[in-house]
Amino acid sequence: MDKKERYSATFPYPIPEYGAESYWDACNEQRLMMQRCEQCVRFRWHPSPRCGDCGCERYSWELLSGRGRINTWTVVTHPVHPAAVEKVPYIVVVIELEEQVGLTMVSNLIDCDVNCVDFNQPVEVDFVTHPIGQKIPVFRLA
Amino acid sequence: MDHSLKNQASIVGIGHTEYSKDSGRSELELACESIAAAVEDAGLSPVDVDGIVKYNWDNNDPIEIARNLGIPHLRFFAGVDYGGGGGPLGTLLLAAMAVATGQANTVVAFRAMNERSGRGTPRFGQASTESGAGGSYSYLSPYGLFSPAQMVALSARRHMHLYGTESRHFGEIAMACRHHANYNPDALMYGKPMTIDDHQNSRMISDPLRLLDCCLETDGGAAVVITTRERARNLKQKPVHIAAAGQGGGGWNHRVMVKDVEATETEATVIAKRLFDDAEIKHADIDVLFIYDHFTPLVLMALEEYGFCKRGEGKDFVSGGRLQWPLGDFPLNTSGGNLSEGYIHGMQNTIEAVRQLRGTARCQVDNAQHAFVSAGNAVPTSAVILRAD
Repeated sequence: MDKKERYSATFPYPIPEYGAESYWDACNEQRLMMQRCEQCVRFRWHPSPRCGDCGCERYSWELLSGRGRINTWTVVTHPVHPAAVEKVPYIVVVIELEEQVGLTMVSNLIDCDVNCVDFNQPVEVDFVTHPIGQKIPVFRLA
Repeated sequence: MDHSLKNQASIVGIGHTEYSKDSGRSELELACESIAAAVEDAGLSPVDVDGIVKYNWDNNDPIEIARNLGIPHLRFFAGVDYGGGGGPLGTLLLAAMAVATGQANTVVAFRAMNERSGRGTPRFGQASTESGAGGSYSYLSPYGLFSPAQMVALSARRHMHLYGTESRHFGEIAMACRHHANYNPDALMYGKPMTIDDHQNSRMISDPLRLLDCCLETDGGAAVVITTRERARNLKQKPVHIAAAGQGGGGWNHRVMVKDVEATETEATVIAKRLFDDAEIKHADIDVLFIYDHFTPLVLMALEEYGFCKRGEGKDFVSGGRLQWPLGDFPLNTSGGNLSEGYIHGMQNTIEAVRQLRGTARCQVDNAQHAFVSAGNAVPTSAVILRAD
């Protein structure tokens, strides 16, 4: 098992919600896709049936660059899940994606020393594979 | 014509069980004990109660409570969403609406749980061990983001970055609550003083959140009795009036509990204006503060967002002992709060606010006339301004 696979070995896998299958299917192709409202053309995370900005139910799936910057982060040191015991310390980040001001998503920052994280650092998406086979978008320093 | 809820309902009874790490009895028994104590405190009998409001997360079934306490007729029963931490004053709001509209005469609002022992209610600080995560958790749990503390750490760090807030400012909040708990033999942290060094040396949970930034997991029950202002006049206790009550929610956060610190509007800003307008007072008129203390950074942010200080000035507001009785001008959570008394999802803070306005608190604020009581922020929330008779 390589490092990437071990990383998310036993945290829960995502059970795709209705309408979110495209998001997770794209991840399995190592592509970060998000919904974009057909009315106000704003992207949104995470997938949802209607636009949170204008309420429109029409959207398209669009490919993102996978580039963004660190909005904030935490270094988890106290394990509250059995799988976390061997993973701490690990870094949970809020990433602001480059496509849109305020387009944020929660993820992990991987292969980064916990003392080397900073605000606004550029990052790019990568994908780790959960043991069930689902790929999950994570980020690394660009 | 004034359609507001202001000044129409009053709190006439308070009751709670002991706060512990293992109650040794069922959540139903905790609910019954705390409600019976509150009804007795009001000088009433269970037959006088005709409404029960619960937190939606509470496992207790109102009709089971009615059967066990001998409440013959229930005319009003309801639960409040985000209760949980957003619920404590939402329950008061619902109860006040019920009595103000005449749908019920005497309504109990309560919270009872075995949250620390986990016998009934799961520990909120622990993660579910389900192998798959659905719903909104499908976007969080795969990253090892489980607990409220971890989520709050994200917004705390952003606040520190934007405004120069430091961990020691969070420590000031923890110390104020602990200071007050040390006057309260009922508090879980009674007899355990805390210094700023204790706070700074406490174990890191999810950097920048330390152990002493987090509330206590607790077993226990707490309840209040609400009736109309008019009926309250003739009851046993000096009534405490609900001068104003409000709920607030919206779609601004990154996720529920993952707060967007830069958002102009928040749950608190939605509530704040209406609350102070309805109560017809200013922030400086508040004599004692009960800010929901699930995590210290969110107390600091609540003080800013409810308008006790400006955004970014929370660090100054909490410093210099302002939050500590008897010298501070805004004593905070004077029985110890969720951080140091016990964590019954804030219902103990409401009970202590009533004591303050009756004039019976251990850390009694001189001539306390107005208490501000908020529920947990970073989730859709609720707040009230309470007024002495």
